[in-house]
Amino acid sequence: MDKTTHFGYQQVAESEKAAKVAEVFHSVAARYDLMNDLMSAGLHRLWKRFTVAQAGLRPGMKVLDVAGGTADLTRLFLKEVGETGQVFLTDINFSMLREGRDRMLNEGRTPPTVQCDGERLPFPSDYFDCVSVAFGLRNMTHKDQALAEMNRVLKPGGRLLVLEFSKVWKPLEPAYDVYSFKLLPLMGKLVAQDAGSYQYLAESIRMHPGQDELKTMMETAGFAKVSYHNLTAGVVALHKGFKV
Amino acid sequence: MIAAALFERSLNHLLRQSPGASEVLRRHYGRSVRFDLAVTQFDFRIADDGYFSEAVVDVPDAVIRPTASLLARLPFFGREALRDADYSGDSAVLHSLDQVFRSLEWDAEADLAPLVGDIAAHRLAAAGHDALHTLQHSARALGQNASEYLLEEAELMARKVDVARFNRAVDTLADDVARLEARLAQLEKARQ
Repeated sequence: MDKTTHFGYQQVAESEKAAKVAEVFHSVAARYDLMNDLMSAGLHRLWKRFTVAQAGLRPGMKVLDVAGGTADLTRLFLKEVGETGQVFLTDINFSMLREGRDRMLNEGRTPPTVQCDGERLPFPSDYFDCVSVAFGLRNMTHKDQALAEMNRVLKPGGRLLVLEFSKVWKPLEPAYDVYSFKLLPLMGKLVAQDAGSYQYLAESIRMHPGQDELKTMMETAGFAKVSYHNLTAGVVALHKGFKV
Repeated sequence: MIAAALFERSLNHLLRQSPGASEVLRRHYGRSVRFDLAVTQFDFRIADDGYFSEAVVDVPDAVIRPTASLLARLPFFGREALRDADYSGDSAVLHSLDQVFRSLEWDAEADLAPLVGDIAAHRLAAAGHDALHTLQHSARALGQNASEYLLEEAELMARKVDVARFNRAVDTLADDVARLEARLAQLEKARQ
């Protein structure tokens, strides 16, 4: 019998989760950026800039943007690594990746764009100076396997940055719950004509490991000097770890 | 997390603005440097391009510890104050670090130009430079006035030359007393 995993609050067969997540992102891809701006009041742009500032990138470096979707981080990384560097934009979902690729093309940039599974990265070992995954790890079925893969493709000394929703500061939880379970699906219904996908978003955030749990998972996957920084009272946390 | 990234970014930015600095460090590719700031410490490895890269380090090749004297002198003496840091570890790495730190030059005008334009950047940088110069000048003048007051007015401290003169007078007095004792001893002996 197939093992089960969570898909939001539902339990589904592990083999089904990727397809279900894919459905969600196929549905929201066209309005993804607009919804991000609405849902976070533009804060997601600051969170991403903060992430890039922690990457310690210099011209000539190689970066892998896992679950890069609409290429928000890729375009910021490209500025840091310059003409001599390289940023690979990857996502498992074709609709999201197409949005990101088209956006890059419209800006006159052509970073290598690869549709691939974060749990089985098609890259050589010890290749990248930095790997990032922003709002993507939460949707992966085997997070431990994905983290191990990211560790494999990093050069020794390279760093992993995980930007993800996390556990919000306790006193804010009631307000955050109302926002997540009432307002988000309503916004999804009005703007993206898809309340279900935003219901999944709220549920998947609650099912995702908290700050310390994710830190432990990264350490188990082989990362050293793992630290995290809460952003917006823990709505989002940035985890950073180094491959040794 | 933030402090380490900020330190790394600032340091590498200064290296980028200082011609030849990263070339000097490139010779030590792979060596590790720890900046031990007492409350926290930042570990870096020198990357293949001669810049600092935050790293996991058990035993660093070189350790730099700022001293109280460095912190006090830094705003007024700039790079010269870096000599007051406490350096330990591999002498070749330390020699290169010293050479690099002495050559670091922050080009504030170049950083401001994309934000406010060339002319405003030039004027802001010049104003900042003048303000710093005035501050240094004022600090020196204040120090001189304070020492003059303590020496001349309050006479709470002695000048070096006065201390030397006093020491010489004490030596002379001691010699005179010794001679007098000897003379008295001689007279005593003659009377008996």
